[in-house]
Amino acid sequence: MKDLLRILIAPLMWLALFSAVYGLHGLLCNLGITSTALGFPLPRILLVVAYVIAIALQGMLLLLLYHPRIAARSPFVRHVSHVTGWTGLVATGWTLLPVVLMSNCT
Amino acid sequence: MKALERHRKLTAIWASEPGIRGWFSTVNHTDLGRMFLVTAFFCFMVGGLLSMLIRAQLATPHSAFAGPEIYNQIFTMHGTIMMFLFAIPTFEGLAIYLLPKMLGTRDLAFPRLTAYGYWCYFFGGAMLIFSMLFGIAPDGGWFMYPPLSNAIYSPGINTDFWLIGITFVEISAIAAAVELTVSILKYRAPGMSLDKMPIFAWYALVTALMILTGFPPLILGSVLLEVERVFGLPFFQADLGGDSLLWQHLFWLFGHPEVYIIFLPAAGIVSTVLPVMCRTTLLGHGWIIAAAVALAFLSFGLWVHHMFTTGIPHMGLAFFSAASTLVAVPTGVQIFAWIGTMWKGRPELHLPMLHILGFFVTFVIGGLTGVMVAVVPFDWQAHDTAFITAHLHYVLFGGFVFPIFAGVYYWLPHFTGRRRFFHLGELAFALVFIGFHVTFLAMHWVGLLGQRRRISTYAPEDGWTTINLISSIGSFILAIGIAMILIDVILHALTASRGRRNPWRASTLEWAMMTPAPAYNVASLPHISSRDPLADDPDLAVRLARGKGYLGDPGKGWRETLTVDIASGRPDMHVIYPANTRLPILMSAVTGVFFLSLLLKFYWTVPLAILGVAALAWKWVWGLGLRDDPGMQPIGHGIELPNAAAVERSPGWWGTVFLLTANATFFGSLLFGFAFLWTVAPGWPPPVWFAASPFALSIGLFGALIGPIAMRLAVRKNRRGGSAVPAFVVAFLAALVLTISCSTMMLRTPAPSDHAYGATLFVLGGYGVFHAALAALMICFLVARVLHGFTSPARRAELPIVGLWVDYASIIGVIVLISGHLPGLVL
Amino acid sequence: MLLVFFSFQGKRAAKDEASQVRVWIVGLGLIFPMVVLAALLAYGLVVGERLLPREGANVVSVHAQARRWEWTFTYDDASEQETKGTLHIPAGRPVNVAITTTDVIHSFWVPRLAGKLDAIPGRTNILRIEADSPGTYEGTSAEFSGAGYDGFTFQVIAHDPTQWDAFLKGELNEGS
Ligand code: HEM
Ligand SMILES: [Cu+2]
Repeated sequence: MKDLLRILIAPLMWLALFSAVYGLHGLLCNLGITSTALGFPLPRILLVVAYVIAIALQGMLLLLLYHPRIAARSPFVRHVSHVTGWTGLVATGWTLLPVVLMSNCT
Repeated sequence: MKALERHRKLTAIWASEPGIRGWFSTVNHTDLGRMFLVTAFFCFMVGGLLSMLIRAQLATPHSAFAGPEIYNQIFTMHGTIMMFLFAIPTFEGLAIYLLPKMLGTRDLAFPRLTAYGYWCYFFGGAMLIFSMLFGIAPDGGWFMYPPLSNAIYSPGINTDFWLIGITFVEISAIAAAVELTVSILKYRAPGMSLDKMPIFAWYALVTALMILTGFPPLILGSVLLEVERVFGLPFFQADLGGDSLLWQHLFWLFGHPEVYIIFLPAAGIVSTVLPVMCRTTLLGHGWIIAAAVALAFLSFGLWVHHMFTTGIPHMGLAFFSAASTLVAVPTGVQIFAWIGTMWKGRPELHLPMLHILGFFVTFVIGGLTGVMVAVVPFDWQAHDTAFITAHLHYVLFGGFVFPIFAGVYYWLPHFTGRRRFFHLGELAFALVFIGFHVTFLAMHWVGLLGQRRRISTYAPEDGWTTINLISSIGSFILAIGIAMILIDVILHALTASRGRRNPWRASTLEWAMMTPAPAYNVASLPHISSRDPLADDPDLAVRLARGKGYLGDPGKGWRETLTVDIASGRPDMHVIYPANTRLPILMSAVTGVFFLSLLLKFYWTVPLAILGVAALAWKWVWGLGLRDDPGMQPIGHGIELPNAAAVERSPGWWGTVFLLTANATFFGSLLFGFAFLWTVAPGWPPPVWFAASPFALSIGLFGALIGPIAMRLAVRKNRRGGSAVPAFVVAFLAALVLTISCSTMMLRTPAPSDHAYGATLFVLGGYGVFHAALAALMICFLVARVLHGFTSPARRAELPIVGLWVDYASIIGVIVLISGHLPGLVL
Repeated sequence: MLLVFFSFQGKRAAKDEASQVRVWIVGLGLIFPMVVLAALLAYGLVVGERLLPREGANVVSVHAQARRWEWTFTYDDASEQETKGTLHIPAGRPVNVAITTTDVIHSFWVPRLAGKLDAIPGRTNILRIEADSPGTYEGTSAEFSGAGYDGFTFQVIAHDPTQWDAFLKGELNEGS
């Protein structure tokens, strides 16, 4: 079960983060917040912060999967979990990128 | 003992009842796999016939063949049958038939559950097909968008058939998924660690996990919509605080993963068959598994791409557009790994290989058009045109039907034990391939010219006549091809001469047995030390038949097998299966009475059916008990294992874990729906909030806290040889208190038919009541077990299983109560 | 496709498995699609941004209300005007169409003017369209809505400025 978890955890985390940021975006739009901070609209700042946190979390998870104490003993599981770990990181960076690029709530 | 004598003895133990009677009482995976496959192919024929009607109707403008009322039923049923009654059951059937054989064991984890799943599928499918024969079939399109499908705009019984029939069929999918997951993780030959597991098992595992998490949103959606239709709880009605978009979210939360649930098993077939056809091994085994896992997860982040035109903010669209393009990457990895495999080996053009090539061409085109529609502005144009229909057939037919045909031809010698004699197959392939591409290339084209999907007719001025005619001609060529494949297969089964064992010289374990497979699969279980056991040891089959492996002694007269540790493949439990029984068909028939009563609005039989199911379920688990402590069981080669009744983590425990995973997804979807309505739906806040009651809340929370503690005490007490009954009584009372607290919430909620808020709380409360009452019932069961002497410090497996249910009821009970009471306390 | 074909041809000396993995999976399977897809995605998002209904001085606002199986159009600039089955717009000016429905889900689609956008109960969706030149444009509802769906179509007539003025004053007698 632990080995299975090692394989599944990173994309699972992506799914959670992706839903969380999407949910945050929906919530911010529905609350209709228009205040600004530091010259930027507040919703944008929150979303970008969430984006950075998400990437950091995925990166940390990937490091853990490489860490000798936590990595799987079987070379096969290690390999697969590394690939899925990278998948999680790339997917987070890629799919949440719109928060820095796109216009909000239109 | 000689091999033949062993064969006779094992057959006597494992065989189903002879003749037709055996169909109703068999629990054997080989039989049930075959029954699944035959039924699913029957449905394929029905769905195919409907598609011929569609194409006949669209062949000419102003066609008078069928009016819109009938036409709407035809395409709705075509889509529904193909997706729910053909594609998913085909996967289930193939996996049920093959997996134990590939994993080198004798049956799946829960044989009676396999049978129950089959009969649920059979009865549910029969309901849908009957509705069609009477002309009252569903007619709202296969995704049944409300408000079109609600009681105002679809007052007839048609939609109810869909919602109820599909839910019934989904039960079978969930049952099969639980079964397959536990079987793949635990029921393998000794020594088969995760890295030595055949690639098809990996794909099946990923698919089964996806079914467990992908289907519950649809089940929830169907339940809510049916409740809205019958009792007027307005989940999807905008003027009463509901939102029709909630349905779209729930449906596509299921619907997109569904596409991959269909594709992944097919990819598993390709990954299994292709290397054999190329006389080599799969390139990048680990990469392919990682790609399948990645695909599975990514596919849960795509659903909104079916809703690009609903007016969701552009940034939201961008997330899903990004995810939709990204999902092409793991698909690409698999495709290139397969092509690389072909370069590595020496491809031979046998019939299965032809279908795999058909798959490559078709699926790659489907993938390219898929990437096109993932681009938002393009989708704004293409959405809901024939272009989309054409795209989805490239993906589904290319990505599923071609690989299935490849698999059918590849495993046909295994099913029948015969050699192909007539060579209709090659010609049939050519017809299918040409017919398919003519049909659907034409549909791409006419879609770009603006032909909408789901129209029953069009005018000559539209300028689509010629293209549609070409498409229809193509579809008839395709149909002839498929009919020829069917004839080829039937001829093969009836007439061909006996073939030799392992005709493709494959290296996986399903070929290490007689064909057609005996009821017990293998006379003794092999020890696995590589990914290609038959390549390393071509005589393995003979040695297994001579009883040289594990569990080769049929002397005790049990249907026995063993389970292994998930990661390492070390044997860890000895299992005795239940024998043939009619309980599964009976139970699914009573389940059917439940659904049928809902459908026909005979509400007084509903509680009877529920009681019937509960009674049968009680009988079902009761029969598993042992009166005496099972000692350590020898499995051969000097190894002894504990029996599954004498461990904490029994197969039933694992099954419960995965069933609860699906259940938790269901509950999570319900919470998502609640949050969605609250934040997004028009018509909020509701006129009145729930009047919180600190008393009801606190006794509920108290019960939720006590139950799990008492269960843990009970487990501990039993292990030490004491009586667990006092702890059970406490746990029972706690569950009862939780039930009462949840039911007061249900009863006190603001009028459920006035606003979606009250309606959602009502359903949440009902969910809590159901689980708390179920936990209470299970505790009663345990008490009865103790009183009848079925437990002991050794026979303890049942306690932790009920413990899981109590924990689950407590967790969701707390969430339900808090989400009901908190707003009233805070606001 | 070509790669599949060539795999049947003569065999070169087999390379070792690791380098094959590098070529096929990492090179062709990962890097190649990621580059292509990133470009495609960026293109799609940029185009999508440009199509958004931004504010502007020149924008005309109209309302499209769907009902099975008829569209009713009203105009901000001429409150007494109401047309059924035909939407009048000025050519050469951006138009915001506010799309609503009174019954089931429908979709507003004029292929030559813009993509489609749904009419969802309880919501108003705004679609930006613009006709470059005067003329008649065919539109359909593109979301299945039951038995009358086949014939659920409408027209958009784009007028030159003088005709548009006439329409707003109610002096245009064709259409409606
Ligand atoms: C045997 C060859 C097949 C043909 C000739 C065919 C033809 C068609 C046509 C013409 C439509 C469009 C109906 C319309 O828009 O009015 C359609 C819809 C559909 N088909 Fe097929 N089909 C075939 C096989 C399949 C298979 C194998 C699957 C799935 C595994 C499938 C799934 C669907 C679905 C989901 C729809 C959409 C139904 C809806 O709009 O509600 N089809 N098919
Ligand atoms: Cu999709």
